[in-house]
Order: sequence, then structure tokens, then C-alpha cells
Amino acid sequence: MTTIAELECAITPTTDGEIAVINLESTRRRSWTRFFEDPTRDGVAETVVGHEQLTLQFFGNVSALDRVEALAAQLNQKDAVSARVALVLAQVASMAHRFSDARHYLAQAEFGGAPTADVDRLRLNIDQACGSNLESVLDARRRAATETNGSEESVALGSLLAGLREFDAADRIYKQALQAYRDVSPFPIARVFFQLGLLWGELALEARPALAAQWYRQAIAILPTYTKARVHLAEIYSSDGSLHDAEALLRPIVNVGDPEVDWRLADILAAQGKFEESEARMKAAHSGFESLLERHLLAFADHGAEFYSESGNDCRRALQLARINADNRPTLWSLEQVHRIATSADNTAAAFELASVPIQR
Amino acid sequence: MSDHIDGPRQMGDPSADLTDLFAFTSPENAARTVLAVCVFPSAGTTAMFSNAVDYAFAMRRVTVAGLGDAAKFEPGEEEIRLSCRFDNLKRGTAGGSPVQGGTCILPDGRTLPIVVNEEKGTSTPDGVFRVFAGLRSDPFYLAWLVPGVRKGPNLLLHDNVLSIVIEFDAGRVLDPGRGSLFGVIAETVPLKPNVIGLKPPRIDWVGRPEQTNIRLGNSEAGPVDLRDLWNQQTPFAIAADLKPVFRERLTASLANWDMRDGVADWTPTALAVNVNVFLDDFLLFDVAKPMTDTSHLEIEKSTISGRAHQTGGGRTVNANVIDILMTWLVNRDREFLQGGATAATKPGTNVFPYLAAPNAELQTVAESVDLTAAPDAVWALIGGFDPSWHPLVAKAEMTGSGVGQLRTIETIDGKQIIERLDEIDPSVRFYRYTSISGIPASNYTGTLGVKPKGGGSVVEWRSQYLADNQPDIVVRAIVSTLLKSGLDSLKPRFGAAK
Repeated sequence: MTTIAELECAITPTTDGEIAVINLESTRRRSWTRFFEDPTRDGVAETVVGHEQLTLQFFGNVSALDRVEALAAQLNQKDAVSARVALVLAQVASMAHRFSDARHYLAQAEFGGAPTADVDRLRLNIDQACGSNLESVLDARRRAATETNGSEESVALGSLLAGLREFDAADRIYKQALQAYRDVSPFPIARVFFQLGLLWGELALEARPALAAQWYRQAIAILPTYTKARVHLAEIYSSDGSLHDAEALLRPIVNVGDPEVDWRLADILAAQGKFEESEARMKAAHSGFESLLERHLLAFADHGAEFYSESGNDCRRALQLARINADNRPTLWSLEQVHRIATSADNTAAAFELASVPIQR
Repeated sequence: MSDHIDGPRQMGDPSADLTDLFAFTSPENAARTVLAVCVFPSAGTTAMFSNAVDYAFAMRRVTVAGLGDAAKFEPGEEEIRLSCRFDNLKRGTAGGSPVQGGTCILPDGRTLPIVVNEEKGTSTPDGVFRVFAGLRSDPFYLAWLVPGVRKGPNLLLHDNVLSIVIEFDAGRVLDPGRGSLFGVIAETVPLKPNVIGLKPPRIDWVGRPEQTNIRLGNSEAGPVDLRDLWNQQTPFAIAADLKPVFRERLTASLANWDMRDGVADWTPTALAVNVNVFLDDFLLFDVAKPMTDTSHLEIEKSTISGRAHQTGGGRTVNANVIDILMTWLVNRDREFLQGGATAATKPGTNVFPYLAAPNAELQTVAESVDLTAAPDAVWALIGGFDPSWHPLVAKAEMTGSGVGQLRTIETIDGKQIIERLDEIDPSVRFYRYTSISGIPASNYTGTLGVKPKGGGSVVEWRSQYLADNQPDIVVRAIVSTLLKSGLDSLKPRFGAAK
């Protein structure tokens, strides 16, 4: 297995994370201005959605979803029938995990003559997210990764392999992506590091937290504001008792609006005996999750389920959310989440009862 | 932005994405030459240069190696190189924006420190070189809609770019006595090799405008995207084994452009000569001859036509390069093709750094209110352009009807505002208008729409503008008050949704 030190030697130095973040925010704002000037111009809405995806992915800025939904509403009002608009609406729906809507818009886009490559790419993403047609998705992912050698394709393939429990194969693909990377944008590199952390910290059947922590640290070194990487690393620090380190990771990102930050910080503060602030953070986490679930239920159902099954302390709500998520995208992971939450209740009867809670949306 | 986003790879880091290259005689001093390059298409007002990229100009002396059907420009071996590198950000004064510094490396190896966005730039002690780096208004304009040849609005309106401008004493730097014709390219290259010494490939390079997007990237000339492959070639030395690939694509592309007006103006022989010239992609300029707003491509055109060039070619900031190029490709200068715009958002200036100051970011004020009433009921009151329903309106006078209708508003504090209706669609309960006068802002547009929400409706009112002669915060307060008080007044009439 390639070591981190060996990989570091092979990776091209990238643009400083602070500059990249400023530039992304700068260009995100500018893309919105261009959108407001002429929402129907080719490529403008697509650019906004691309920037908002990066903002959501790397900064945990959950209001990005509100913004793209507003964009979709405006586009829908202006030009409901064009293939191009349908494709954008499908992207937005997919981003919010409204996969059924996304498929509907995708069919509209395809019928209207949207470029086949764009339709196929999005359909592949939706199939993968929903755990559908996985054999053909795997074939397509392998083909794309071989043909393009790009980090985006490699991450998609690695993520699929990890979902299929091919952990070593996923590890290999991610590392190949790092070695093949020749650009200066830090985002793709940071993402691969994060995926490696996720692979060994969360997905592997036998977690290797020390290894995962190394990858998360690499992601944060490249992109200091990488919210998800900070949260996951803080969890590892917290579980091995390094509470101050965990707190230091989360403090700089408490204002990004991701309730998971409040939740994890609340747990860390409680473990340090700082009960007053912990309580306030937990309240913020609770109201933050509920607010998100009200606006984007499908996008945050799995996160909400995790929260309520742990510190949120509401098994019934946790199971309800986990089932909504599994119903929306019945992947192995989401079904396992339902099972885990159901069986983690106090006793078998409760688990049975919880498991039969009707799914409500 | 003639080279912007010219390949999948450039989309990674926009600060490494070259948009345009310029070479012209200094408007301040005819003995000096100016090179300018722009990066970062549609840069926001806070954009910064990458600290992982070498931004470089490379110039080579060029000889005319053939005329007419044998037209050929031969670059020499000696390269004059100017490059800029930028640092990590430093904190500005307390609470201020971060500051970026950098270094310009001169052809003799000397270095010149630069500070990004310092308007006057930095000069060497001997005054030979002067360098600026920072945000400017995008000098490029493109007002054609593709495919086909249809006029459109300037697609780069209000855009900014990061630019590097280097002015130098042409006599001392270029030694034009040995030949005054030069080719120049600009390139962005990852600054450092990785630890094991592997130098990453070039990210982007640009010579003449539109080599990648219009000529090589013409999708009607072939399905495979060759732009990244082109960008990874070494300027002045395209790989011999790949030249046939690029030649074939250019031939198909230029033939396709020739027929965009349905008329064949290029014979196969002439087209092949044109392809040969464009295959050697560098921006030609002659420091012994005048470079003007119309001299772009004159060196190439004259040489292909079998005569000596008369101008310095090059590319000035205000050169209408797209229309010059389109005319040449589509009808070989039979009839000038003027696009839908005749100038960039802000024309270049005669004062260093010659590219106009950046455009301010349009400000947005957006307000909304959720109501219990149905959308049609709300639209019946506010959907006409008549604003008499608004509590701050003392009197409103309507002139005309439909799109183009004017409303002259007298506010309760005695101010007059005039606005024009630009678009209205009652079927989706939406209208858009422009402010003519009365609000201290320019480029003011507003939209108002009513949509269903739950069992009721939501009214969304949005304005965009540039503050004019007043601080942003003052204009924002005025606009925000207008929008908010109007929407608040709807709550008692239609019921506020909880």
C-alpha cells in the first residue's frame, strides 16, 4: 500500500487553500450576478450550480441548497420546457437528493434533446446515489476512469467501490488519482484525501481511525476550511480523548451553518464538563437539523438520523429519518443505517416497534 | 476573454485560466512596448492570483520566411522571458482585505517586487520596466451568438479579469536593430515540480486570440476536444507528430467558418496557407511599425496576400479582435462583420496600466413575504405596473401601456422616481423593470413575482444596481426600505402566512 509520504512526493503543489476559497467565493458571487442579469443565457445557471455544489461540498454551507432551489424556481418560471433548463433542474434536484424529481427532469431533458453525455453523466450519478443498476454503473465508472484519468471520475469510481465493500480497490483508485493529478486547484486533491479518510474511518468494516485521521489532516492542510474533514477528524480526536484538539478543529467553523458542527462541538464540550455551552450548542444543533429537514428532508435525512440516534436522543425520529433515506436511495449503507438504528434501541420489542414506524414525508 | 475556459483542465483553477494576450505600443511613450495578459474569466471583485503558478510572457524574434502561398513566420531560438509569481496572502490592516505580493522576474534575471492591485505598479530603478498586476475591467468583448453568425449582446458585459501588465523600453529590451518583428505568447505553468522532480505540464497558453475556442474548439469541425492537448504543447515548438492532428482540425474548422455565410471565399490553397500561419500560434507584433486598434492580424494577412506588412500588428486593448478575426475567417475581408457591440464594458485608457479600472459588483436586494391569499388575488393588486398600492407612494402617473410603459412615482417624502416596464408575463405573475431616474444607482433592474406556496402565495421582489454617487450602504437602505415596506403592507391585506 502506498504511504502518505510517498504520495506527498508525487503530488504537484496546489494553490494555497485560502486563495482558492477566496477565488471560489468571488467567482460564485459573480456567477449569481450574471444569472440575475440574464437567467436564460446558456451556461450561466449551470455555472452557478457548479459553484454552489463546491460551496456545499467543501465549506458545509448548507444554504447553498436554498440558493440553488431558488435558482431552479426562477428558471422553471422563465423557461420550463427547454432541455437545458430541465437538465439544470435535474442537477438541482439531484443535489438536494430529490432523486425521483431528478429522474423526471432528466427524462424531460433527454426528450428535449439535451446532450447525451450530460444526461448520461447525471443519470450515472443518480443511479450510484440510489444504488440502482450498480453493475452497469460500475462498468461505466471503470470506463470513464480509464479514458479520462481525471480525479472526478476516479473519486466516483472509488466511492462506488467503497460502497460495494471493495475497500482495497477503492484505496488503490484514490491513490492513483492523487498520483495522476497535475493541476493546481486544491479542491480535487482535498476531496480525494477526504474520501480516503472516509474509506478507512467510516466505511471499512474494521475502522482504522489513525489512518483515517492522517488522510483528514492532509485534506485540511490543503484546504483549511474543509468543514466535513474537520468534523470527521474531530470525531476521531474526540473518541481517543483528544478533546482540546477536537474543539480546536471545530471552533473556526461554527458559523458555517452546518448543525453537525454544533452537535459534535456540544458533545466535546460536555465531555470537558462545559455543560452550559454544550447545552446551547446542542439546542442549536437540534433546531439546525429540524430547520434543514423542514427545507430539504431528503438531503439531510441520513444526517438527521445519525444525530437523533446519538446525541439527539430520539430513536423514533432517528428511525423515521433513516427509513425515509433508505426509501429514497436504498443503498447498502442506508439499509444498514436503518437496521443499526432499529436494533440499537433499548430492547428487541422496541426495535421491532420502531422498525414498523410508517414512513412519513 | 478570447481564450477563456478553453479546455476541461482550465476549469480547475480559474486564476490559471488565460483569457487574453495583448501587445501594443505604450500610449504614454511610443518608445515603450506593453505586454498584457488576463486570467480568471468573470473574476469577482476579491479574486487573487494563484501562488502555485508561473505567469509568463515569452517573446521570440520572428522572420518572414515566405510570402503568398509560401507564407511562413519563423521564430528564432533566443527567448526573452518575463514572468510573475505570487505569494500567499498577508493580512492587511486590521479588518482590511488580505494583501497579495509577488515578484516579476525580468529577462536578465533581476527581480521586481509587486503588490497586487497597486494602481501605479512598480518600476525598476532604471525605469526600463514597469509592472502592474491586479483586477481590471475585462477589455475583451464578444457579441456574436454561435453557431452561425448572429449578432448578440456583449457576453462579457460588466466582467472583470485579473491582469498582468508589463511595459518596457523596447529599444533596450528587444534590440530591434537585429529585427523588429516578434512573436509573443503567454503561459501559465505549475510553479514547482513535485518532490520527486516531475515537472507538471503547462496549464494554459495563448498566442493569437481564439486559437483554442473558435479555431481548434469548433465542434462542427470534429467531435474530439483537442484543446487540452493543444494547451500542453510547447509554444514555438508544437510536437511534430501532433502537427498533422492540429492541421487537420484547423483545416476543417477554417473551412467550416468560411461557409458560415454560405459563400466560399477561401480557395483550398489559400485555406491551407491560412492554416499554416495559424498553426504557428504566437501574437505577432513589429515594434518598428505602428500598432493601432485596427492593425491586429495585418501582418499575417499581408504576408498571406504576398506583400510586406505595413503595420505593427499586435493587439491593443481596444482592438475589435473578434470582428477582425470573424471577417477574415468567414469572408476573407470582403465585408466587415460587425458584432452586436462596438466596445468593451469600459474601453482601455491612455494611462498606465491601460486596462480600465474594475467594474463594481452589482448589488442585490431581495425581499419576500409569505401570504395566506392565493397568488391570483395578490397579483390582481400588485401585478399591474401601477404602484399605487405601495404605502410609500403618494402619487403615481402611468404613461403608455405594456412593455415600455413608464411609471412616474412621487414618494410620500416628495422624491420622484421614474421606472420603465421591460417584461411582463401575467401567466406566471412576473414583471421586470428598469429605473430611469430617482434612485442614486445605475444599471438598476427590479423583478417582482407572485408564486404559489403551500395553500397561499409568496411575493418575491428583487433589485440589482450599482450605487451611483452614494455609498453602497446608503443606496441599499433606500432600496431595501422601498421593497420591505411594500411587502409588509401586503400582510394585513392578504394575511401573513405562518
